[in-house]
This record gives sequence, C-alpha cells and structure tokens, in this order.
Amino acid sequence: MALSIADLSKEELFGQGNAGCGGCGAAVAGRQAMKALGSRTIITIPASCMATMGGSNLKTTWQIPFYHTLFEIAPAVSSGIRAALEAQGIKDVNVVSWAGDAGTADIGFQSLTGAAERNEHMIHVCYDNEMYMNTGGQTGSQTPMYAITSNMTKGKTIKKKNMLAIMEAHEIDYVASASIAYPLDLIAKFKKAATKPGFSYIHILAPCHRGWQIPPEKTIEFARLAVESGLFELYEVDEGERTRNLEPSFIPVEDYLTPQGRFKNLTQEAIQGIQTSVNKHYGRGE
Amino acid sequence: MVKDLPVVPSAKAGSLAETPTGITWRVQYPVISETCNTCLDCTLFCPDGALVQEEDKIVLKLSLCKGCGICANECKENAIQMIPEYSGVQGVFR
Amino acid sequence: MSTTLLTGSEAAAYGAKLARIEVIAYYPITPAFPAMERISKFIDDGDLNTRFVRVESDHSALAAALGASLAGSRTFTVTNSQGLLYMTEVVYHTAGLRQPVVMAVANRALSAPHSRFPEQGDAISQGASGWIQLFCENNQEVLDNMLQAFKIAETVRLPVMVNYEGYIQSHTLEEVEIPNQETTDQFLPLNRVRTLDVENPQAVNTVASPEFYMDYKFRQNEAMEQALTVINDVASEYAVEYGRDWSGLIETYQMDDAEHAFVAMGSMVSDARIVVDELRNEGRKVGLVKIRTWRPFPAEALREALKKAQLVTVCDKNIVYGLGGALGTELKSALYGQDVRINSYILGLGGRDVTTVEIKKVLELSEKTKKQVTASEWFGL
Repeated sequence: MALSIADLSKEELFGQGNAGCGGCGAAVAGRQAMKALGSRTIITIPASCMATMGGSNLKTTWQIPFYHTLFEIAPAVSSGIRAALEAQGIKDVNVVSWAGDAGTADIGFQSLTGAAERNEHMIHVCYDNEMYMNTGGQTGSQTPMYAITSNMTKGKTIKKKNMLAIMEAHEIDYVASASIAYPLDLIAKFKKAATKPGFSYIHILAPCHRGWQIPPEKTIEFARLAVESGLFELYEVDEGERTRNLEPSFIPVEDYLTPQGRFKNLTQEAIQGIQTSVNKHYGRGE
Repeated sequence: MVKDLPVVPSAKAGSLAETPTGITWRVQYPVISETCNTCLDCTLFCPDGALVQEEDKIVLKLSLCKGCGICANECKENAIQMIPEYSGVQGVFR
Repeated sequence: MSTTLLTGSEAAAYGAKLARIEVIAYYPITPAFPAMERISKFIDDGDLNTRFVRVESDHSALAAALGASLAGSRTFTVTNSQGLLYMTEVVYHTAGLRQPVVMAVANRALSAPHSRFPEQGDAISQGASGWIQLFCENNQEVLDNMLQAFKIAETVRLPVMVNYEGYIQSHTLEEVEIPNQETTDQFLPLNRVRTLDVENPQAVNTVASPEFYMDYKFRQNEAMEQALTVINDVASEYAVEYGRDWSGLIETYQMDDAEHAFVAMGSMVSDARIVVDELRNEGRKVGLVKIRTWRPFPAEALREALKKAQLVTVCDKNIVYGLGGALGTELKSALYGQDVRINSYILGLGGRDVTTVEIKKVLELSEKTKKQVTASEWFGL
C-alpha cells in the first residue's frame, strides 16, 4: 500500500505556466492531486483562484478537460457530466469538481449537498485557504475564529463550520482530509476516492501566503504545522469507518498561529482556549 | 475586424506551459547542489512543476519558476539555495 | 403516428422522448411539473433511455443539463417563472457557451405578488439572454416545436426555449398527433459534439479579457441572426417530413387584403383565428400575424407582413415596467418609418382571462383609438 514518489506519474497535467502567485498552495494541491487522477479526468472548477489560474483567453495550464463554471454549480455540472458519460457508455473517467471554500461550503453548498445526497459517482475537492481569496480575502464559513480578513479587520467572532462532519453526515462513500505538506497521503486518498462507485469528498488544507500573511516559501511549512499541532486532523471515513491517518506530534498551537499575520490579534487567553479544545479533541489532559 | 475564435469560448490544452507568465516576477531562483539525494519531495512541493526528475537528477525548468522559495525551504538535505536574480547595487539612484 | 388527447405538458414530454434525450435534469415547479413527471414515467416504464439527474434546485437543473450537453449528450429541462428566474444566471451562461440545450417553459406570472397563473412575463425576462424563443399556439404545436427546437439548436449552436402558457396550455387536453419515432430519428439524427472530452482536452470558459469578450459576443449574435434563416428552413423541412407547417418566424392569416392586423404570440393566437373568421364573415378586413419566433425578433418579416396594413393591434400578456408591452414596443421599433398606426395593449396579466370576447373588444377599442397616450394601454382592468 505504501506509495513512493518514484512510483508516481511524471506527467504534468496541471500547473506549468499557471498565473497564480509564486508559492500558491492551491497550485501545489492541484499538482499533487493530478498525480493520482491521471489524464482520464474531467475537472469542473467554479469561480475561485484555481479557476482564474486555470487560464485566460486562449491559454490554459490544464492538460485535461477543464471547465470554469459559475460559482454555485460545479457539483451540479459534474452530476450532469457523469450522467452524459454513462448515457454514452464512456467508462473509466474521473469526474471531479474542485472548489475553494466558498464554492464548497457557502455559495456552492446547495449543489454540493444535492450531489452528495444523490451519492453521484464523482469526487468533490475543497481546496481550503480559509478565506475568499479570489475577491481579495474576505471572511467565509471556513475562516477560523479570530482570523483577520479584508472585511473583518478585528477578526472573526464565530468558529469555522465543520465541513468534514457535514459531509460525513451525508453517508457518502468516502470523506477525507488532506494537507499539501503530506503529498503521499493526499495522493493515496485521491487514488482511493477514484475507485469509489459513489460520492467522495476530500478537504485539502492549502495555505494562501497572501491571505495568511506568511512568507511564500513557508506555504508547505504552515500546512505541516497545522497538522502537527493537531488543529487540522488528517483522517478519512471510508464507507463509514473512521481512521486517523497521522498521530500529530502536538507542537503547541501557538507555534502554528502566532507567526501568521492574520492571527496578530490573538490574545494569550484565546490561544489557551484553542489549545484546550485541541487537547480535548484528542483526549489529552490539560 | 472580428477575431477568429472557437465557437465555445475555450483554450488549447497545455498552452500556458508554452508561454508561462510568472517568470517576469521572479527575483530569485533555486540552485540545487550535490548534496541532493533525489528524494523527489521538491517535485511535489513546487507550485509550478518547475522541478522535474531527469534520469537520476533534479532539473530546474527556469522558464516555469517564479522563485517562491518553497523548494529551498522544504529541502531536508539543505541542498537548494535561492540565488537572487540581481545582486548588484540596490536602492534609489539620484 | 397516433392521435390522442394530450395536455401541453404531455406534448412537451413526447417531444423530448421522440428526440431521444440522453440526460434530463429538472426541479419541480407549478405548472411545469407534469411535463417532468411524464418524462420520468417514460423512463420508469422503460420507454425512454434517459439518465435523470434529480437535482436540488432549478438553478442546478440547468447546470446539470449544461454539464451533460458539454459532455456531448442531448439534454432538456423544463421550468417556468421563479425557477426560470432563479436559473437566469445559467441561462445566459449556456447561451454564451453555445450549447444546444432545449428548455420547455410553462409560462407563468412572476412574484410579487405571488401568482401561479399563466402570463408571458417569465419568457420576456429572458429576452436578452441569447436563447432562441418560440411560442406555441396549441398543444400540437408544443410537440412539433419541441422537435424543431432540437434541430434549430444543434444547427446554429444556440439553446432554445419553447414557451407555452401554464394551465391554459400545460394542463388543457387537446387533440395531438404524435409523430412516429422513425421519422424523428431521420429528422433529428445523433449529432454529438463533445466540448469536454478526455480524448480531446481543452479548457472551457477561461477568463476573457476585454480584448476577446466582445468578439465572442459578436459571433454569438451572428448565430442568432443565422437562426432567422435556419428557423424558416427547419419549419419547411418539418412540413415535408411530418405534414404540418407552422411556418418559421411568423405566420400570416387572412393578411392579403387586411387593413387591420392583430399581432400576438402564444395561446391568444388560436382565439384570434376564430375572431378573425367571425369579423371576416361580417365583411371586416381583419387579419392575424402570429409571432411564432420571438427571439431572434423577426423584424424584417414583420415589416413585410404589415406593409399594407393601416392599423395594427398588438397584444402583450406581459409588461416591461416603464416601457410597455414587450411585443408592442419591439414591433413599433421594427416598423419605425412605415406608415401604419400601431396600438399596443397589455392584458391577461397574472392569468386574467383572454378569450375571443376580449380579443374582439380590443380590436374594436383599437379601431376607435386614433392615438394612444401611453406606449401600451392596459385592457381589462
């Protein structure tokens, strides 16, 4: 089962020449995912940085069929694509809707929940940078509490909506969290999702250095710190069975949070509160 | 004079790799030293697919590199150094 | 061929069935839902090999149909009023992507206030969307227009709306001849165009800069103008294959020596034919111009048809606030410069009845009205 990088395809199906920022976490996620999915994949991406990076005018970075959809509809479009492929007897094609946090959890939620409820044969990927970056970095449901954004300059006062739990409640074939700092785990999850007859949901933590206010070269580092602090749990729910994929080393949450500019208003009390809730989640003592 | 365009607004697959845009922003680029053990991690961490394995070495495709520095930051062997594009005199000239 | 009693909804469903649609997505809404249910029954009974995507909203219904179309399947959806307005974003998007999706619309008035009754307002709201729009005079035409819609759409690569009024047409039984499958398979051969294809990958709907967007729109409008010819051609071909000629853009009835012309679209037309016959029996030189194609607007055909008329009475079951009835104002604009008196009336909003009685009264009122004070006069209040 253990995958090694040497085994992966050398094909570059996404990312070369993309117009994203240098150090873009979303681009890393896209590249890693395509190593698993391969060229027999159709990808629909609603309005987002990923869609914009996909290309403009007569140029694109994609080597597979890619469709930049309206904001809300990627999972619905993917449902239609799958129906058409089935009607035409075309098999062995991955149908993927790849959305940011808005296109998944907020404006895109209706079509996502519909497609999941129907257990459509497709994969929905949320690449989560925890803010609406394509419009300049506004707060959304996936923004963590206390995070400063362009439209909540004093920090968010409500916690992040738990999308993984919501998707688990749909009782779909496969739910998994992933982080770009753990590419082999991410790739294995995509490979598993591609084998499922029904709906798979993969939620990738893909930091945006501009929004998080971290140096660009540390994009991957922060995706790792989030997991090692326990704040972002790497787990999967495969046909209802839950498995934690990595036991965090439990570095203090402070080491992950305070270096980020978006958390500059965090008080010691707030940090303490976050540390306590992480400890509680993992069943560790104070 | 109306342009000749495809019926469905679309773009040819892989066309951006031929004319990448990010290279004009680059202020530094990576150089890989002998201590590289070809673990291949950097090939999966690069957002632009600029680091590829050719035979038993990692090769940089400079035309795709934006100089973000992720590869140098992540390399466990410290085999990658970021070299500035311009290292001459800096500052405002009057 | 078999003749039976069908509602407009069933006629639309038979149209989709004969066209062998491969994918359907819909979201129930009154009064469009019976067409949807009839198709689902065809599928469940094994009479139609179609994948049904049971979407969670009208907006997603057109999105799913669009996705299927991009992947190369013939697709269809049904809706009206609130659902149509909810999916408007996708309506424009589908036309811009040049996908030959066909949509049946069981025209209904728009909220607020909340109405479930027939009216043309929902169709009018999509006038700038880039969809071809046909109106049907009766249930036979609903079925025939459905088949022609697929042909027109796949020829010019633009989506087509087939409009028929809620309840008056969608729920009323009329005699309809159902064409046979063999003739339809010849008329509508499989015409697969895959835009999203793993064998031929491309990126669809990349961000367009000002340098390109306007050129794309020009080409899209060009296709709309091409439709003016294609719609006529398809109607002629249909007449040969099926023996029924609904004409293409417009139809003229008793117009050769008509001094007073009645212009309308939709269910009013079938009542107007009766009124024209009655008035002709009284020796009045009245004629009818039926608007079958509302988009693209058949300006030149109308100028030609109304060349000799002295008075034109045009009726709208819709209102464009601050402007007037959609057909009335567009007709006046098309006939600008032509020496003819045009009186525009708004009636039947929110399902208020328009029968032969009302049409006759409007014609009489129009003859007495030398010049209207407003762009469109309201009738029946």
